[in-house]
Amino acid sequence: MDNDRGFALALLAPALICVLGLVGWPMVQIVTFSLVEGKGLNVLETAGRIWGLGNYVSVLTDSETWESVLTTLLYVVGSVAPAFVLGMLVALLLNQQFPLRRALRCLALLPWAAPGVLVSIIFLWLFDPSYGVVNYLLRVTGISNADIGWFTNEDTALIAVLIPSIWKSFPFFALTILGALQTIPEDLYEAADIDGANKLQSFFHVTWPGVRGPAILAIVLNSLWALREFDIIFATTGGGPFRATETLGIRAYTEAFSFFELGRASTLGVLTIAMALFFVLIARRPLQKEFF
Amino acid sequence: MQGIISGRELRVLLATIVVVGLILFPIYWMVVTAHLPTTLVLSRTPPLLPPLNEMSFDAFGRALLRRPFLVWMGNTLIVAIGSTVLSLVIATLAGYSLSRYRSKMQEYSGLALLVSKMLPGSLIVIPFFIMASRAGMIDSRFALILANTSVGVPFATWMMKGYFDAIPREIDAAATIDGCSRLQALWYVVMPIARPGLTAAAIYLFIVAWADFVFARTLINSPDLWTLTTGLASFVGEHGVDWPGLMAAGTLSMVPIFILFVLLEPYLVSGMAAGAVK
Repeated sequence: MDNDRGFALALLAPALICVLGLVGWPMVQIVTFSLVEGKGLNVLETAGRIWGLGNYVSVLTDSETWESVLTTLLYVVGSVAPAFVLGMLVALLLNQQFPLRRALRCLALLPWAAPGVLVSIIFLWLFDPSYGVVNYLLRVTGISNADIGWFTNEDTALIAVLIPSIWKSFPFFALTILGALQTIPEDLYEAADIDGANKLQSFFHVTWPGVRGPAILAIVLNSLWALREFDIIFATTGGGPFRATETLGIRAYTEAFSFFELGRASTLGVLTIAMALFFVLIARRPLQKEFF
Repeated sequence: MQGIISGRELRVLLATIVVVGLILFPIYWMVVTAHLPTTLVLSRTPPLLPPLNEMSFDAFGRALLRRPFLVWMGNTLIVAIGSTVLSLVIATLAGYSLSRYRSKMQEYSGLALLVSKMLPGSLIVIPFFIMASRAGMIDSRFALILANTSVGVPFATWMMKGYFDAIPREIDAAATIDGCSRLQALWYVVMPIARPGLTAAAIYLFIVAWADFVFARTLINSPDLWTLTTGLASFVGEHGVDWPGLMAAGTLSMVPIFILFVLLEPYLVSGMAAGAVK
Protein backbone atom coordinates (compact mmCIF):
# COMPACT_ATOMS: atom_id res chain seq x y z
CA MET A 1 0.00 0.00 0.00
CA ASP A 2 2.89 2.37 0.75
CA ASN A 3 4.06 1.87 -2.77
CA ASP A 4 0.60 2.80 -4.05
CA ARG A 5 0.63 6.01 -2.06
CA GLY A 6 4.03 6.90 -3.49
CA PHE A 7 2.79 6.31 -7.02
CA ALA A 8 -0.36 8.38 -6.43
CA LEU A 9 1.73 11.22 -5.03
CA ALA A 10 4.24 11.05 -7.87
CA LEU A 11 1.42 11.47 -10.38
CA LEU A 12 0.08 14.45 -8.42
CA ALA A 13 3.44 16.12 -7.81
CA PRO A 14 3.71 18.16 -11.05
CA ALA A 15 0.20 19.56 -10.58
CA LEU A 16 0.93 20.39 -6.94
CA ILE A 17 4.17 22.14 -7.85
CA CYS A 18 2.26 24.05 -10.50
CA VAL A 19 -0.54 25.10 -8.16
CA LEU A 20 1.73 25.96 -5.23
CA GLY A 21 4.34 27.73 -7.35
CA LEU A 22 2.17 29.51 -9.87
CA VAL A 23 -0.99 30.22 -7.87
CA GLY A 24 -0.25 29.73 -4.15
CA TRP A 25 3.05 31.58 -4.00
CA PRO A 26 1.75 34.60 -5.96
CA MET A 27 -1.17 34.77 -3.50
CA VAL A 28 1.26 34.77 -0.56
CA GLN A 29 3.18 37.54 -2.35
CA ILE A 30 0.04 39.67 -2.74
CA VAL A 31 -0.76 39.42 0.95
CA THR A 32 2.88 40.11 1.88
CA PHE A 33 3.17 43.24 -0.28
CA SER A 34 -0.12 44.56 1.07
CA LEU A 35 1.27 44.37 4.61
CA VAL A 36 4.56 46.18 3.98
CA GLU A 37 4.86 49.90 4.70
CA GLY A 38 6.18 51.93 1.81
CA LYS A 39 5.30 53.66 -1.39
CA GLY A 40 5.77 52.67 -5.00
CA LEU A 41 8.25 49.91 -5.67
CA ASN A 42 9.73 50.09 -2.15
CA VAL A 43 7.54 47.21 -1.01
CA LEU A 44 9.72 44.92 -3.12
CA GLU A 45 12.79 45.57 -0.93
CA THR A 46 13.26 42.63 1.37
CA ALA A 47 15.90 44.33 3.51
CA GLY A 48 14.65 46.48 6.38
CA ARG A 49 10.97 45.76 5.79
CA ILE A 50 8.53 47.46 8.12
CA TRP A 51 5.25 45.64 8.51
CA GLY A 52 2.08 47.63 8.91
CA LEU A 53 -1.40 48.36 7.76
CA GLY A 54 -0.53 51.60 5.96
CA ASN A 55 -1.72 50.31 2.60
CA TYR A 56 -5.03 49.20 4.04
CA VAL A 57 -5.58 52.57 5.69
CA SER A 58 -4.69 54.39 2.48
CA VAL A 59 -6.90 52.16 0.29
CA LEU A 60 -9.89 51.89 2.60
CA THR A 61 -10.06 55.63 3.35
CA ASP A 62 -9.90 56.45 -0.37
CA SER A 63 -13.42 57.25 -1.60
CA GLU A 64 -12.36 56.11 -5.09
CA THR A 65 -11.93 52.57 -3.74
CA TRP A 66 -15.56 52.49 -2.66
CA GLU A 67 -16.67 53.87 -6.00
CA SER A 68 -14.80 50.96 -7.59
CA VAL A 69 -16.46 48.51 -5.20
CA LEU A 70 -19.85 49.86 -6.30
CA THR A 71 -18.86 49.67 -9.99
CA THR A 72 -17.71 46.08 -9.45
CA LEU A 73 -21.03 45.12 -7.86
CA LEU A 74 -22.98 46.82 -10.66
CA TYR A 75 -20.83 45.05 -13.23
CA VAL A 76 -21.25 41.61 -11.61
CA VAL A 77 -25.02 41.88 -11.16
CA GLY A 78 -25.53 43.69 -14.46
CA SER A 79 -23.70 41.06 -16.47
CA VAL A 80 -24.60 37.84 -14.62
CA ALA A 81 -28.36 38.38 -14.23
CA PRO A 82 -29.15 39.15 -17.91
CA ALA A 83 -26.71 36.46 -19.07
CA PHE A 84 -28.49 33.92 -16.88
CA VAL A 85 -31.95 34.84 -18.22
CA LEU A 86 -30.73 34.86 -21.82
CA GLY A 87 -28.85 31.57 -21.32
CA MET A 88 -31.94 29.94 -19.82
CA LEU A 89 -34.16 31.06 -22.73
CA VAL A 90 -31.64 29.89 -25.33
CA ALA A 91 -31.23 26.55 -23.54
CA LEU A 92 -35.01 25.98 -23.45
CA LEU A 93 -35.22 26.78 -27.16
CA LEU A 94 -32.29 24.53 -28.09
CA ASN A 95 -33.66 21.63 -26.04
CA GLN A 96 -36.66 21.30 -28.40
CA GLN A 97 -36.78 18.85 -31.26
CA PHE A 98 -36.26 20.47 -34.67
CA PRO A 99 -34.20 19.91 -37.80
CA LEU A 100 -30.64 21.33 -37.97
CA ARG A 101 -30.64 21.33 -34.19
CA ARG A 102 -26.99 20.35 -33.80
CA ALA A 103 -25.71 23.03 -36.22
CA LEU A 104 -27.85 25.81 -34.75
CA ARG A 105 -26.88 24.83 -31.20
CA CYS A 106 -23.23 25.05 -32.15
CA LEU A 107 -23.68 28.51 -33.71
CA ALA A 108 -25.71 29.88 -30.79
CA LEU A 109 -22.96 28.96 -28.33
CA LEU A 110 -20.08 30.35 -30.42
CA PRO A 111 -19.65 33.65 -28.51
CA TRP A 112 -18.31 31.61 -25.58
CA ALA A 113 -15.21 30.73 -27.61
CA ALA A 114 -14.46 34.25 -28.88
CA PRO A 115 -11.44 35.78 -27.12
CA GLY A 116 -12.38 38.74 -24.88
CA VAL A 117 -10.19 41.17 -26.80
CA LEU A 118 -11.83 40.21 -30.10
CA VAL A 119 -15.26 40.65 -28.53
CA SER A 120 -14.17 44.11 -27.34
CA ILE A 121 -13.04 45.15 -30.79
CA ILE A 122 -16.22 43.90 -32.47
CA PHE A 123 -18.41 45.85 -30.03
CA LEU A 124 -16.26 48.99 -30.25
CA TRP A 125 -17.03 48.93 -33.96
CA LEU A 126 -20.75 48.13 -33.52
CA PHE A 127 -21.03 51.04 -31.06
CA ASP A 128 -18.81 53.50 -32.94
CA PRO A 129 -20.37 57.00 -32.55
CA SER A 130 -20.32 58.07 -36.21
CA TYR A 131 -20.17 54.90 -38.29
CA GLY A 132 -21.39 52.24 -35.87
CA VAL A 133 -24.33 50.13 -36.94
CA VAL A 134 -26.07 50.51 -33.55
CA ASN A 135 -26.33 54.30 -33.82
CA TYR A 136 -27.36 53.84 -37.47
CA LEU A 137 -30.22 51.53 -36.44
CA LEU A 138 -31.25 54.03 -33.74
CA ARG A 139 -31.32 56.79 -36.39
CA VAL A 140 -33.29 54.72 -38.92
CA THR A 141 -35.87 53.66 -36.36
CA GLY A 142 -36.17 57.23 -35.11
CA ILE A 143 -35.20 56.32 -31.55
CA SER A 144 -32.22 58.65 -31.32
CA ASN A 145 -30.49 60.99 -33.71
CA ALA A 146 -27.61 61.78 -31.39
CA ASP A 147 -24.29 60.16 -32.25
CA ILE A 148 -24.00 58.48 -28.87
CA GLY A 149 -20.41 57.77 -27.88
CA TRP A 150 -21.35 54.60 -26.04
CA PHE A 151 -17.90 53.79 -24.69
CA THR A 152 -16.70 57.40 -24.27
CA ASN A 153 -19.73 58.88 -22.54
CA GLU A 154 -19.66 58.72 -18.75
CA ASP A 155 -23.38 57.84 -18.55
CA THR A 156 -23.43 55.04 -21.12
CA ALA A 157 -19.96 53.50 -20.69
CA LEU A 158 -21.00 50.94 -18.07
CA ILE A 159 -23.94 49.75 -20.20
CA ALA A 160 -21.66 49.63 -23.24
CA VAL A 161 -19.20 47.43 -21.32
CA LEU A 162 -21.97 45.20 -19.96
CA ILE A 163 -23.42 44.32 -23.38
CA PRO A 164 -20.32 42.51 -24.75
CA SER A 165 -19.83 40.90 -21.32
CA ILE A 166 -23.36 39.48 -21.41
CA TRP A 167 -22.92 38.39 -25.03
CA LYS A 168 -19.76 36.47 -24.16
CA SER A 169 -21.01 34.89 -20.93
CA PHE A 170 -24.58 33.77 -21.73
CA PRO A 171 -23.46 30.64 -23.67
CA PHE A 172 -21.90 29.23 -20.49
CA PHE A 173 -25.32 29.37 -18.82
CA ALA A 174 -26.98 27.94 -21.91
CA LEU A 175 -24.43 25.08 -22.02
CA THR A 176 -24.79 24.25 -18.33
CA ILE A 177 -28.58 24.43 -18.34
CA LEU A 178 -28.84 22.53 -21.64
CA GLY A 179 -26.73 19.73 -20.18
CA ALA A 180 -29.05 19.56 -17.16
CA LEU A 181 -32.22 19.76 -19.29
CA GLN A 182 -31.15 16.67 -21.17
CA THR A 183 -31.12 14.68 -17.94
CA ILE A 184 -34.81 15.42 -17.16
CA PRO A 185 -36.86 12.35 -18.16
CA GLU A 186 -39.56 13.00 -20.75
CA ASP A 187 -42.10 11.08 -18.56
CA LEU A 188 -42.10 13.90 -16.01
CA TYR A 189 -43.38 16.35 -18.62
CA GLU A 190 -45.98 13.82 -19.77
CA ALA A 191 -47.10 13.27 -16.19
CA ALA A 192 -47.36 17.04 -15.64
CA ASP A 193 -49.33 17.30 -18.86
CA ILE A 194 -51.75 14.55 -17.77
CA ASP A 195 -52.18 16.29 -14.41
CA GLY A 196 -53.30 19.36 -16.33
CA ALA A 197 -50.25 21.56 -15.71
CA ASN A 198 -49.81 24.48 -18.10
CA LYS A 199 -46.47 25.48 -19.65
CA LEU A 200 -45.53 27.83 -16.80
CA GLN A 201 -46.48 25.30 -14.12
CA SER A 202 -44.50 22.53 -15.76
CA PHE A 203 -41.51 24.89 -15.99
CA PHE A 204 -41.59 25.65 -12.26
CA HIS A 205 -42.41 22.12 -11.11
CA VAL A 206 -40.47 19.98 -13.58
CA THR A 207 -37.85 22.02 -15.45
CA TRP A 208 -36.56 24.30 -12.69
CA PRO A 209 -36.03 21.55 -10.06
CA GLY A 210 -34.11 19.62 -12.74
CA VAL A 211 -31.72 22.43 -13.62
CA ARG A 212 -31.50 24.28 -10.29
CA GLY A 213 -28.26 22.70 -9.08
CA PRO A 214 -26.14 23.32 -12.17
CA ALA A 215 -27.80 26.73 -12.66
CA ILE A 216 -26.85 27.91 -9.16
CA LEU A 217 -23.32 26.64 -9.59
CA ALA A 218 -23.09 28.46 -12.92
CA ILE A 219 -24.33 31.69 -11.31
CA VAL A 220 -21.70 31.45 -8.56
CA LEU A 221 -18.87 30.64 -10.99
CA ASN A 222 -19.91 33.41 -13.36
CA SER A 223 -20.14 35.94 -10.53
CA LEU A 224 -16.59 35.03 -9.51
CA TRP A 225 -15.42 35.38 -13.11
CA ALA A 226 -17.26 38.69 -13.56
CA LEU A 227 -15.66 39.93 -10.34
CA ARG A 228 -12.19 39.62 -11.84
CA GLU A 229 -13.12 40.33 -15.48
CA PHE A 230 -10.29 42.16 -17.15
CA ASP A 231 -10.09 41.66 -20.92
CA ILE A 232 -13.36 43.26 -22.03
CA ILE A 233 -13.23 46.28 -19.70
CA PHE A 234 -9.54 46.94 -20.23
CA ALA A 235 -9.64 46.61 -24.02
CA THR A 236 -12.73 48.80 -24.48
CA THR A 237 -12.56 51.62 -21.92
CA GLY A 238 -9.52 50.85 -19.76
CA GLY A 239 -11.72 51.75 -16.79
CA GLY A 240 -12.66 55.20 -18.08
CA PRO A 241 -14.14 57.62 -18.94
CA PHE A 242 -13.64 59.34 -15.58
CA ARG A 243 -13.40 55.89 -13.94
CA ALA A 244 -17.02 55.09 -14.89
CA THR A 245 -16.12 51.45 -15.63
CA GLU A 246 -13.22 51.04 -13.18
CA THR A 247 -13.84 47.79 -11.28
CA LEU A 248 -11.53 46.65 -8.47
CA GLY A 249 -9.61 44.36 -10.82
CA ILE A 250 -8.96 47.18 -13.30
CA ARG A 251 -8.06 49.56 -10.47
CA ALA A 252 -5.54 47.09 -9.02
CA TYR A 253 -3.97 46.66 -12.46
CA THR A 254 -3.75 50.41 -13.03
CA GLU A 255 -2.22 51.02 -9.59
CA ALA A 256 0.39 48.34 -10.32
CA PHE A 257 1.31 48.98 -13.93
CA SER A 258 0.52 52.67 -14.48
CA PHE A 259 1.39 54.15 -11.06
CA PHE A 260 3.74 51.36 -9.86
CA GLU A 261 2.03 51.49 -6.45
CA LEU A 262 2.51 47.80 -5.76
CA GLY A 263 1.51 48.00 -2.10
CA ARG A 264 -1.82 49.63 -2.88
CA ALA A 265 -2.36 47.33 -5.88
CA SER A 266 -1.79 44.24 -3.72
CA THR A 267 -4.16 45.60 -1.08
CA LEU A 268 -6.83 46.04 -3.76
CA GLY A 269 -6.10 42.45 -4.82
CA VAL A 270 -6.69 41.24 -1.26
CA LEU A 271 -9.91 43.26 -1.22
CA THR A 272 -11.04 41.56 -4.43
CA ILE A 273 -10.32 38.14 -2.95
CA ALA A 274 -12.29 39.17 0.15
CA MET A 275 -15.20 40.13 -2.09
CA ALA A 276 -14.98 36.75 -3.86
CA LEU A 277 -15.06 34.97 -0.49
CA PHE A 278 -18.04 37.11 0.50
CA PHE A 279 -19.87 35.96 -2.65
CA VAL A 280 -19.08 32.32 -1.90
CA LEU A 281 -20.30 32.83 1.67
CA ILE A 282 -23.61 34.26 0.45
CA ALA A 283 -23.97 31.36 -1.96
CA ARG A 284 -22.86 28.78 0.63
CA ARG A 285 -26.33 27.73 1.74
CA PRO A 286 -27.82 27.04 -1.69
CA LEU A 287 -24.53 25.43 -2.78
CA GLN A 288 -24.48 23.16 0.25
CA LYS A 289 -28.11 22.27 -0.29
CA GLU A 290 -27.37 21.24 -3.86
CA PHE A 291 -24.03 19.52 -3.60
CA PHE A 292 -23.13 18.37 -0.11
CA MET B 1 -45.11 11.49 -40.35
CA GLN B 2 -41.51 10.38 -40.88
CA GLY B 3 -39.50 12.62 -43.17
CA ILE B 4 -42.03 15.43 -42.90
CA ILE B 5 -41.39 18.34 -40.59
CA SER B 6 -44.31 18.91 -38.27
CA GLY B 7 -45.81 22.38 -37.91
CA ARG B 8 -44.48 22.66 -34.39
CA GLU B 9 -40.95 21.69 -35.43
CA LEU B 10 -41.07 24.27 -38.20
CA ARG B 11 -42.11 27.00 -35.78
CA VAL B 12 -39.31 26.08 -33.36
CA LEU B 13 -36.84 25.98 -36.24
CA LEU B 14 -37.84 29.45 -37.44
CA ALA B 15 -37.74 30.89 -33.91
CA THR B 16 -34.29 29.38 -33.37
CA ILE B 17 -33.00 30.77 -36.66
CA VAL B 18 -34.16 34.27 -35.67
CA VAL B 19 -32.58 33.99 -32.21
CA VAL B 20 -29.30 32.58 -33.54
CA GLY B 21 -29.28 35.31 -36.20
CA LEU B 22 -29.56 38.00 -33.53
CA ILE B 23 -26.89 36.33 -31.39
CA LEU B 24 -24.47 36.06 -34.28
CA PHE B 25 -25.08 39.57 -35.62
CA PRO B 26 -21.84 40.95 -34.08
CA ILE B 27 -19.80 38.20 -35.76
CA TYR B 28 -21.73 38.66 -39.02
CA TRP B 29 -21.01 42.38 -38.91
CA MET B 30 -17.29 41.77 -38.33
CA VAL B 31 -17.11 39.47 -41.36
CA VAL B 32 -19.15 41.86 -43.57
CA THR B 33 -17.07 44.88 -42.56
CA ALA B 34 -13.90 42.96 -43.37
CA HIS B 35 -15.13 42.56 -46.95
CA LEU B 36 -16.33 46.12 -47.58
CA PRO B 37 -14.35 48.96 -49.18
CA THR B 38 -13.49 51.80 -46.77
CA THR B 39 -15.87 54.22 -48.54
CA LEU B 40 -18.86 52.04 -47.65
CA VAL B 41 -17.59 51.35 -44.13
CA LEU B 42 -17.18 55.05 -43.30
CA SER B 43 -20.71 55.83 -44.32
CA ARG B 44 -23.63 57.15 -42.30
CA THR B 45 -25.88 54.52 -43.91
CA PRO B 46 -23.94 51.24 -43.84
CA PRO B 47 -25.48 48.44 -45.97
CA LEU B 48 -26.98 45.82 -43.63
CA LEU B 49 -26.97 43.26 -46.41
CA PRO B 50 -23.60 43.23 -48.14
CA PRO B 51 -23.60 44.56 -51.74
CA LEU B 52 -22.02 41.55 -53.40
CA ASN B 53 -20.51 43.47 -56.33
CA GLU B 54 -18.53 45.73 -53.99
CA MET B 55 -17.13 43.03 -51.74
CA SER B 56 -13.38 42.65 -51.78
CA PHE B 57 -10.56 40.96 -49.93
CA ASP B 58 -8.36 44.08 -49.84
CA ALA B 59 -8.71 44.44 -46.08
CA PHE B 60 -7.31 40.95 -45.55
CA GLY B 61 -4.26 41.91 -47.62
CA ARG B 62 -3.77 45.05 -45.52
CA ALA B 63 -4.15 43.09 -42.29
CA LEU B 64 -1.52 40.61 -43.38
CA LEU B 65 0.95 43.06 -44.93
CA ARG B 66 0.78 46.32 -42.98
CA ARG B 67 0.69 44.66 -39.60
CA PRO B 68 2.83 41.74 -38.42
CA PHE B 69 -0.35 39.68 -38.20
CA LEU B 70 1.36 36.41 -39.11
CA VAL B 71 4.05 37.02 -36.47
CA TRP B 72 1.36 37.54 -33.82
CA MET B 73 -0.43 34.42 -34.96
CA GLY B 74 2.81 32.43 -34.84
CA ASN B 75 3.54 33.67 -31.30
CA THR B 76 0.01 32.81 -30.20
CA LEU B 77 0.34 29.32 -31.71
CA ILE B 78 3.65 28.68 -29.93
CA VAL B 79 2.30 29.82 -26.57
CA ALA B 80 -1.08 28.11 -26.95
CA ILE B 81 0.39 24.78 -28.09
CA GLY B 82 3.15 24.92 -25.47
CA SER B 83 0.81 25.57 -22.58
CA THR B 84 -1.80 23.09 -23.86
CA VAL B 85 0.75 20.26 -24.04
CA LEU B 86 2.31 21.13 -20.67
CA SER B 87 -1.06 21.52 -18.92
CA LEU B 88 -2.42 18.35 -20.48
CA VAL B 89 0.49 16.16 -19.35
CA ILE B 90 0.40 17.53 -15.80
CA ALA B 91 -3.39 17.43 -15.62
CA THR B 92 -3.72 13.89 -16.99
CA LEU B 93 -1.36 12.48 -14.38
CA ALA B 94 -3.02 14.44 -11.59
CA GLY B 95 -6.54 13.66 -12.79
CA TYR B 96 -5.70 9.94 -12.88
CA SER B 97 -4.25 10.11 -9.39
CA LEU B 98 -7.32 11.93 -8.03
CA SER B 99 -9.64 9.47 -9.75
CA ARG B 100 -7.90 6.24 -8.64
CA TYR B 101 -6.44 6.90 -5.21
CA ARG B 102 -8.13 8.15 -2.05
CA SER B 103 -6.16 9.67 0.80
CA LYS B 104 -6.03 12.89 2.78
CA MET B 105 -3.34 14.08 0.36
CA GLN B 106 -5.62 13.56 -2.64
CA GLU B 107 -8.45 15.35 -0.87
CA TYR B 108 -6.39 18.42 -0.03
CA SER B 109 -4.85 18.53 -3.49
CA GLY B 110 -8.27 18.29 -5.10
CA LEU B 111 -9.45 21.17 -2.94
CA ALA B 112 -6.37 23.26 -3.70
CA LEU B 113 -6.94 22.72 -7.42
CA LEU B 114 -10.60 23.68 -7.05
CA VAL B 115 -9.78 26.88 -5.18
CA SER B 116 -7.08 27.92 -7.64
CA LYS B 117 -9.60 27.40 -10.44
CA MET B 118 -11.59 30.25 -8.91
CA LEU B 119 -8.79 32.77 -8.44
CA PRO B 120 -6.35 33.25 -11.32
CA GLY B 121 -6.17 35.84 -14.08
CA SER B 122 -6.04 39.54 -13.36
CA LEU B 123 -5.35 38.92 -9.65
CA ILE B 124 -2.18 36.85 -9.85
CA VAL B 125 -0.71 38.78 -12.74
CA ILE B 126 0.81 41.38 -10.39
CA PRO B 127 2.93 38.95 -8.33
CA PHE B 128 3.53 36.95 -11.50
CA PHE B 129 5.04 40.02 -13.14
CA ILE B 130 7.30 40.61 -10.13
CA MET B 131 8.42 36.98 -10.11
CA ALA B 132 9.11 37.10 -13.84
CA SER B 133 11.11 40.33 -13.61
CA ARG B 134 13.19 38.99 -10.72
CA ALA B 135 13.89 35.86 -12.74
CA GLY B 136 14.73 37.96 -15.81
CA MET B 137 11.86 36.33 -17.68
CA ILE B 138 10.05 39.39 -19.01
CA ASP B 139 9.64 39.06 -22.77
CA SER B 140 9.96 35.33 -22.48
CA ARG B 141 7.53 33.04 -24.25
CA PHE B 142 8.33 30.39 -21.65
CA ALA B 143 7.08 32.63 -18.81
CA LEU B 144 3.88 33.19 -20.81
CA ILE B 145 3.49 29.43 -21.30
CA LEU B 146 3.94 28.90 -17.55
CA ALA B 147 1.37 31.60 -16.78
CA ASN B 148 -1.19 29.99 -19.07
CA THR B 149 -0.37 26.59 -17.58
CA SER B 150 -1.18 27.89 -14.11
CA VAL B 151 -4.67 28.70 -15.38
CA GLY B 152 -5.04 25.53 -17.42
CA VAL B 153 -3.92 22.83 -15.00
CA PRO B 154 -6.68 23.22 -12.37
CA PHE B 155 -9.37 23.20 -15.05
CA ALA B 156 -8.00 20.31 -17.03
CA THR B 157 -7.27 18.19 -13.94
CA TRP B 158 -10.92 18.24 -12.92
CA MET B 159 -12.01 17.58 -16.47
CA MET B 160 -9.68 14.57 -16.75
CA LYS B 161 -10.69 13.25 -13.32
CA GLY B 162 -14.28 13.25 -14.55
CA TYR B 163 -13.37 11.21 -17.62
CA PHE B 164 -11.19 8.76 -15.67
CA ASP B 165 -13.98 8.27 -13.13
CA ALA B 166 -16.16 6.97 -15.98
CA ILE B 167 -13.59 4.25 -16.81
CA PRO B 168 -13.99 1.15 -14.58
CA ARG B 169 -11.04 0.45 -12.27
CA GLU B 170 -11.20 -3.22 -13.20
CA ILE B 171 -9.61 -2.33 -16.52
CA ASP B 172 -6.42 -1.00 -14.85
CA ALA B 173 -6.44 -3.96 -12.47
CA ALA B 174 -6.70 -6.46 -15.31
CA ALA B 175 -3.81 -4.78 -17.11
CA THR B 176 -1.54 -4.93 -14.05
CA ILE B 177 -2.38 -8.60 -13.51
CA ASP B 178 -1.38 -9.20 -17.12
CA GLY B 179 2.05 -7.83 -16.24
CA CYS B 180 1.82 -4.13 -17.02
CA SER B 181 3.37 -1.69 -14.59
CA ARG B 182 0.91 0.90 -13.30
CA LEU B 183 2.34 3.54 -15.61
CA GLN B 184 2.11 1.15 -18.56
CA ALA B 185 -1.49 0.35 -17.63
CA LEU B 186 -2.26 4.07 -17.70
CA TRP B 187 -0.47 4.65 -20.98
CA TYR B 188 -1.46 1.55 -22.99
CA VAL B 189 -4.85 0.64 -21.55
CA VAL B 190 -6.54 3.60 -19.87
CA MET B 191 -5.36 6.43 -22.13
CA PRO B 192 -6.76 4.99 -25.37
CA ILE B 193 -10.18 4.72 -23.70
CA ALA B 194 -9.88 8.25 -22.31
CA ARG B 195 -8.95 9.69 -25.70
CA PRO B 196 -12.27 11.56 -26.25
CA GLY B 197 -11.82 13.22 -22.86
CA LEU B 198 -8.22 14.01 -23.66
CA THR B 199 -9.27 15.63 -26.94
CA ALA B 200 -11.94 17.71 -25.24
CA ALA B 201 -9.52 18.88 -22.54
CA ALA B 202 -6.86 19.73 -25.15
CA ILE B 203 -9.28 21.80 -27.25
CA TYR B 204 -10.56 23.52 -24.13
CA LEU B 205 -7.03 24.39 -22.97
CA PHE B 206 -6.11 25.64 -26.43
CA ILE B 207 -9.16 27.94 -26.65
CA VAL B 208 -8.40 29.41 -23.21
CA ALA B 209 -4.71 29.97 -23.98
CA TRP B 210 -5.55 31.47 -27.40
CA ALA B 211 -7.78 34.05 -25.69
CA ASP B 212 -5.27 35.09 -23.00
CA PHE B 213 -4.74 38.82 -22.86
CA VAL B 214 -3.82 39.83 -19.34
CA PHE B 215 -0.64 37.70 -19.15
CA ALA B 216 0.47 38.48 -22.69
CA ARG B 217 0.01 42.21 -22.18
CA THR B 218 1.84 42.24 -18.86
CA LEU B 219 4.68 39.77 -19.40
CA ILE B 220 5.57 40.74 -22.98
CA ASN B 221 6.91 44.15 -24.00
CA SER B 222 8.64 43.61 -27.32
CA PRO B 223 6.24 43.91 -30.30
CA ASP B 224 8.02 40.99 -32.01
CA LEU B 225 6.68 38.73 -29.28
CA TRP B 226 3.14 40.10 -29.14
CA THR B 227 0.31 37.62 -29.40
CA LEU B 228 -2.88 38.09 -31.43
CA THR B 229 -4.78 39.58 -28.51
CA THR B 230 -2.13 42.17 -27.64
CA GLY B 231 -1.76 42.91 -31.35
CA LEU B 232 -5.49 43.43 -31.86
CA ALA B 233 -5.75 45.54 -28.70
CA SER B 234 -3.00 47.81 -30.00
CA PHE B 235 -5.39 49.09 -32.69
CA VAL B 236 -7.79 50.46 -30.07
CA GLY B 237 -7.55 54.17 -29.44
CA GLU B 238 -5.59 54.81 -32.62
CA HIS B 239 -6.73 57.81 -34.57
CA GLY B 240 -8.63 56.81 -37.70
CA VAL B 241 -8.77 53.08 -37.08
CA ASP B 242 -8.71 50.98 -40.27
CA TRP B 243 -11.93 49.17 -39.39
CA PRO B 244 -12.07 46.81 -42.39
CA GLY B 245 -8.43 45.87 -41.75
CA LEU B 246 -9.06 45.32 -38.05
CA MET B 247 -12.20 43.29 -38.73
CA ALA B 248 -10.28 41.21 -41.29
CA ALA B 249 -7.59 40.51 -38.68
CA GLY B 250 -10.34 39.65 -36.19
CA THR B 251 -12.02 37.30 -38.65
CA LEU B 252 -8.75 35.51 -39.36
CA SER B 253 -7.98 35.14 -35.66
CA MET B 254 -11.42 33.62 -35.10
CA VAL B 255 -11.14 30.92 -37.80
CA PRO B 256 -9.04 28.35 -35.87
CA ILE B 257 -11.17 28.84 -32.78
CA PHE B 258 -14.34 28.39 -34.78
CA ILE B 259 -13.11 25.05 -36.17
CA LEU B 260 -12.02 23.83 -32.73
CA PHE B 261 -15.29 24.93 -31.18
CA VAL B 262 -17.29 22.91 -33.69
CA LEU B 263 -15.22 19.87 -32.65
CA LEU B 264 -15.54 20.60 -28.92
CA GLU B 265 -19.21 21.55 -28.72
CA PRO B 266 -20.73 18.04 -28.35
CA TYR B 267 -18.39 17.36 -25.40
CA LEU B 268 -19.31 20.68 -23.82
CA VAL B 269 -23.04 20.06 -23.66
CA SER B 270 -22.71 16.63 -22.09
CA GLY B 271 -19.60 17.49 -20.08
CA MET B 272 -20.56 20.82 -18.52
CA ALA B 273 -23.31 19.31 -16.41
CA ALA B 274 -21.36 16.14 -15.64
CA GLY B 275 -17.74 16.59 -14.69
CA ALA B 276 -16.23 19.60 -16.35
CA VAL B 277 -17.75 22.22 -14.07
CA LYS B 278 -17.90 20.38 -10.79
